[in-house]
Amino acid sequence: MTMLSRVADRLYWMARYLERAEDTARLVASYHMLIMDIPRGSELGWDVLLRILDAEPQFYSRFRVPNEQNVVKFLLADMDNHGSVACSIRYARENVRTTRDVLPEETWEKVNELHLYSRELAEKSVGRRNRQAFLDEVVGRCQMINGMLLTTLSRDHAHRFSTIGHLLERCDMTTRVVDVGVMEIMERDERFAAIDPLLWSCMLQSLSALGAYRRVVGPLLEGGAIAEFVLKDPLQPRSVAFCLRGIREALKPLANNTEALRQLDSARRKLGRFNAEAMNPEQVHRYIDDFQSLLNRLHQAISRAWFQPESL
Amino acid sequence: MNNNWSSYDPGGFYDELITERGAPRVAARGAVGLLQGLSPEDMASRREAAELAIREMGISFTVYTEGGNIDRAWPFDIIPRVISARQWQQVSRGLIQRSRALNRFIDDIYNRQRILADGVVPAEIVLESGNYKPQCRGMSPRYGVWAHICGSDLVRDNDGRFYVLEDNLRVPSGVSYMVENREITKRVLPELFENYSILPVDDYPSRLYRTLASLSPRERKRPCIVVLTPGIYNSAYFEHAFLAQGMGAELVEGPDLMVGPDECVYMRTVDGPVRVDVIYRRIDEDFMDPEVFREDSVLGVPGLMRAWKAGKVAIANAPGSGVADDKVVYAYVPEMIRYYLKEKPLVDSVPTYLCMREKDREYVLDNLDKLVVKPANESGGYGIMVGPHASKAVRKKFAGLIAKNPRNYIAQPTLSLSTAPTYCDGAIEPRHLDLRPFILQGRESWVTPGGLTRVALVKGSLVVNSSQGGGSKDTWIVEGKA
Repeated sequence: MTMLSRVADRLYWMARYLERAEDTARLVASYHMLIMDIPRGSELGWDVLLRILDAEPQFYSRFRVPNEQNVVKFLLADMDNHGSVACSIRYARENVRTTRDVLPEETWEKVNELHLYSRELAEKSVGRRNRQAFLDEVVGRCQMINGMLLTTLSRDHAHRFSTIGHLLERCDMTTRVVDVGVMEIMERDERFAAIDPLLWSCMLQSLSALGAYRRVVGPLLEGGAIAEFVLKDPLQPRSVAFCLRGIREALKPLANNTEALRQLDSARRKLGRFNAEAMNPEQVHRYIDDFQSLLNRLHQAISRAWFQPESL
Repeated sequence: MNNNWSSYDPGGFYDELITERGAPRVAARGAVGLLQGLSPEDMASRREAAELAIREMGISFTVYTEGGNIDRAWPFDIIPRVISARQWQQVSRGLIQRSRALNRFIDDIYNRQRILADGVVPAEIVLESGNYKPQCRGMSPRYGVWAHICGSDLVRDNDGRFYVLEDNLRVPSGVSYMVENREITKRVLPELFENYSILPVDDYPSRLYRTLASLSPRERKRPCIVVLTPGIYNSAYFEHAFLAQGMGAELVEGPDLMVGPDECVYMRTVDGPVRVDVIYRRIDEDFMDPEVFREDSVLGVPGLMRAWKAGKVAIANAPGSGVADDKVVYAYVPEMIRYYLKEKPLVDSVPTYLCMREKDREYVLDNLDKLVVKPANESGGYGIMVGPHASKAVRKKFAGLIAKNPRNYIAQPTLSLSTAPTYCDGAIEPRHLDLRPFILQGRESWVTPGGLTRVALVKGSLVVNSSQGGGSKDTWIVEGKA
């Protein structure tokens, strides 16, 4: 059974938006926990989240002060911010709405319920009191939907294109977190070094990798090792190396995949060359920049090969 | 008897569930008995459960407004409409007969035009109609069938008989709601099913699949069937997706298809172009092919008509089918049945006055307060005047419209649409309804057991369209006694 190019395109974006909603919710949730642990006077501002998401220009075009209230509203509930949790969920829903015939029946019901939930509660969850419950619920529901797709979707094109979107988005988010996390923490004033472990654990938590890190690497949180772990650990499902391998599996059976595989392999080679020990923060930053443009080229190769309709 | 029901009074109308003496009809006895036994709180909670199910199942339809498109939840009444199988059998034979005659008519019109030559139907009303598509001349699709899916609107008058109000031969919609309504009833009133033998409706998609597959130009075990939709903003998009999924067919939009130099139709897929055998068309024919019909259409597929005429692809319903779906042509359907089939019509039509005929027109203008006036060529309940409910000013406006363009208007006596008990704001009240069964025709013919019952939720209203405040009910064809 083949698949329409348009449908493949929408499945890919459905998966990207679902992952984006989950990742953004995780990011806000872990930062929310962190803020409460940090002594007065040594806070990072909430604007660090905007830098991770590359959303500063968009934020400042409509908000003046990057305080907690504004940033959280922008990231959770703002329907003019295409990357907000509520907006990502809405886009995911729109994409499922137009592809429900190739997905398991419950997908539409679950995504639609998630949309109804976030539409009703996102705005009310900007304040600290309801925030955590809302974020937990969003993350939980996204995981349920992903779990359902994982266990019920037959391993055909629908599975391949949604997997590719899901994993590519995850790579994108993980590299962003590493980029800003490393820069922010390493460049901070020595006086605050005492709270660095808190920041590192927050970063790992946002990637759902804290427990795994402790088991695999050890209890001591240290920047370089963390970056190595979340980028290169072969067994950790959120690591970039793991995601790229998953994308490769999904690309292999597709027709016309030469260019996409070539881009993918060049990203994998680049990842192999990452060496935290030998890099200063500036070099890490430049490395991640280059790596992200490789991911972008991979996206374009995928789009050219399968989403853009050809003529006879 | 529960308070909700004790004061139920359908007035002078034929009621689907309750006789004039206030007792449930035989086929409805079990359902009414059970519903009467529910407390008001229980009824309210069942209704809430239905609303929740509708929201969760994402059953929606789109309403066009000036402020953009609104996706509304499907309005549903939990009290089913019950019809006995014996009575239904008669109606369904009549519908098949009607659909056969209509298809013979369409095939005749685009070929020899015998019925016009014989003077049974005046040539000008057919050939001058906007629904007549000269581009289709000379085509004769497989089995001589043009309108493969027909969604006739039936109403029941005071005499308890069903009348065909119109034959929708272009792109009739609503069948998915018929299937989903049953699903909702099963969820919220499961006890109703215990003592009944209710004909199932959920195999519609596979019936449709068989009908469409029988049209394939290539003999293949599994022909490539697609559902062609105008897209997500169409009010029936939910249904297009529902049917595609039910048939395991691709849901395509115009830009997904292309016509090759070999005049075959292909869809653009991730594996490259794949040839299409049958298109279930849910876009208006005027938008189907910019080469032949409206040039500005972006929903269509350039070259589709060429492919169809070359016999490389089947299209259901065939372009041009609308020629028989015209309220003026409607008046001649009983004649067609006699002319083509040499049979007596088995299901009634509503007497129809054609304003183009001088005598009819005089009668219509003199009796505007008693008649329903309809434009010959609109659907969705737009542009209709219901005489007894219209103000003087509206009647005057219609008199002017008729005088200006008589060909464009017909009039019919105001039927006393039947009612059925409907749950409104905590009370059980009579509401008017109609019925849209679906008739499939390919190699074989088939009629849905029942169909989609649409109900006017506004008290006293006769307008059942969902775009104008209508809702729907689950419709049961039941065998034997309950």
